Amino acid sequence: MKKHIISLHPLGKELKVNDQTPLIDVLHEFGVEFPCGGKGTCGKCRVRLLNGELNVTKDQQKKLDQLGLDSDWRLACYSKCTSDITLEIEQFKHLILADETEFFFVPGKGFAIAVDLGTTTIVAQLIDLSTAQVMAVETMVNPQVRFGADLISRIQACLEGSASEMTRIIRAAIGMMITLMLKKHDVELEEVILVGNTVMQLIFSNCDVSPLAAYPFHSTNLGMKILTTTELNWKFKVNKRIKFYPSIGSFVGSDILAGIVATGLHLKEEYTALIDLGTNGEIVIGNKQRIVCASTAAGPAFEGANISMGMRAVTGAISSLKQADGQLKANVIGNTIAKGICGSALIDAVAILRKLDQLGMFGEINSGEPDILLSGKVRLTQQDINEFQLAKAAIAAGLFILAKDLEIELSHISELYIAGGFGNYINIDHVVETGMIELSPKKIHKMGNTALIGAKMFLFSDLSTIDEILKKATLVNLEADRSFQDIYVDKMLFL
Amino acid sequence: MEDLLVKLLEAVEFGKVDKKSPYPPQLRDMDGAHELTISAIEAGIKPQIILEEALIPAMSKVGKKFAECKIFVPQMLMSARAMGASMFQLKPFFASGAIKTKGTFIIGTVKGDLHDIGKNLVSMMVEGGGWSIVDLGVDVGSDKFVEALKNNPGAVIGLSALLTTTMVNMGEIVSTIREHAPETKILIGGAPVTAEFCQHIGADFYAPDPQKAVEYMNKLAS
Repeated sequence: MKKHIISLHPLGKELKVNDQTPLIDVLHEFGVEFPCGGKGTCGKCRVRLLNGELNVTKDQQKKLDQLGLDSDWRLACYSKCTSDITLEIEQFKHLILADETEFFFVPGKGFAIAVDLGTTTIVAQLIDLSTAQVMAVETMVNPQVRFGADLISRIQACLEGSASEMTRIIRAAIGMMITLMLKKHDVELEEVILVGNTVMQLIFSNCDVSPLAAYPFHSTNLGMKILTTTELNWKFKVNKRIKFYPSIGSFVGSDILAGIVATGLHLKEEYTALIDLGTNGEIVIGNKQRIVCASTAAGPAFEGANISMGMRAVTGAISSLKQADGQLKANVIGNTIAKGICGSALIDAVAILRKLDQLGMFGEINSGEPDILLSGKVRLTQQDINEFQLAKAAIAAGLFILAKDLEIELSHISELYIAGGFGNYINIDHVVETGMIELSPKKIHKMGNTALIGAKMFLFSDLSTIDEILKKATLVNLEADRSFQDIYVDKMLFL
Repeated sequence: MEDLLVKLLEAVEFGKVDKKSPYPPQLRDMDGAHELTISAIEAGIKPQIILEEALIPAMSKVGKKFAECKIFVPQMLMSARAMGASMFQLKPFFASGAIKTKGTFIIGTVKGDLHDIGKNLVSMMVEGGGWSIVDLGVDVGSDKFVEALKNNPGAVIGLSALLTTTMVNMGEIVSTIREHAPETKILIGGAPVTAEFCQHIGADFYAPDPQKAVEYMNKLAS
């Protein structure tokens, strides 16, 4: 029988199904709900088709028209799989972290847009410059996911000839998000500010990404990009400018520059650190004199990739684990039977199992069995634990090497902020117990989407701040450190 | 005498470098690979026997356990360190020709790539399999491989890459090596590498894990 691959976003899951499999069967497994029972009346099961073909019957077209959904939407309850497809699931949109943080600002005039262009997700907000209030938010899965989940596969796709297509679809997607917000609020835009990692910046600005394909990962094209609505093919008016903020270098982009501004670490006497646990994990340590930063490939394990029963924080996912009387107690989203485990609970599991002496110092399962039962049918395998070790060691080694570069002890860091959607759900005590962050839990804070907070702050500040940060910031290539291997392997242990 | 070899095998298998090293806990305060090798040499055991009956079987056990996911990178590295401590004592015998290796293995991470842990693990396992190693390091272009091959005629070559974007550089390296020494055996490995890719670029063998590399090379030597 013919098989097709369905790729689900922002879940980051791929699965193989038989030809003609109803999507309702597949998505139900992942916790998608069908409130009207598959009659096509509520539109809650709608999915956006990012890639591939998904035929629309006359019946479905009628329902889609009634619901006012345009041509890239489908109703899962009406659809059958007939080709390889990439889908964005509307019900999982809450996984994308927007932001409502308040910050100090000097009131301006008019309205503007701040965009956080992530590898996996995009968030755009319409801001009233006189009050700094968020008037509208749009979130979306980055349509480039069909070219690969991580940055290296996106670069590879560009090198293989998809660069202009990727530029076109990302510009169109953000243009559409802004258009949707302007439909709700008929206002004139003064400015659009975008932040994102280096690869996102280069692709959005139609620049060559090939320098980032190999060492020394050095692009000379990472400065501020000023763009016009004409070249972006955006149909609305922007009075002043559309700016993609400059990257710091290599894989550390303007999303981290924004994160630095959001945490204010560049203004403080004491050393402060920022860790962004997104698809590409970045680390920054600095104060008002010096700032060092690095990128690691730590993200995917925390997003459930490479973890055998890993999934995002949706219905059926174990979101956290506790220990009670030497037993694991799982908290499952939606109070249903556990189907998988999300990144936050993975950290809990490892921390608790180590405490219960079910895991040894090398991460080995002490019973000698190939896996450990967590809850329901959800198991954690030896490979899963090893994947976690690689990820936590990447963060721990990154922090260690950056501190070494500044010639400080880790204990000299006064505050550490964790950014990124996943970061919001983690148990900080457990993070510390696994050895991922070797600091007192009291110093560690969750801060949400610091890229978006920073992008909004950019709307209210002049460029002198970021010029100063860029002057102070140094990029450290972790792998180039001679002692990296020893430190990295050392940090894989559970001591 | 044989007891010493059994103990040395155990010390290397479990990564006991020397007496004062705290790992592994079950061998605390016992002699490590360093002391046991010195004792074995003093007891008159032939260096070739030390290599063949303690080090090679120990590393082979380690390689198999790694391939079966029973141990992970830290334990493997610990074993490699213990082996290194033993090899250090055996060095004079390699130099004098008292120990014969199976051949030479030239290894490097390809141009554009700085990742060396995977390459180092393979290099240690192959050394533990009884081969001499020429490690060219990271970010290595075809010219360096060709030069090393000139200095070590008949050597087997190993190429490593961790990124999809740098893996492609293996193709150019393989064809340049073939131009200079068509008979050279080349094996490749690394996270993005597959058997299909290996075939596509005309390399001889794709090693999914370090142990498979050792097994392939042992077949070449036999």
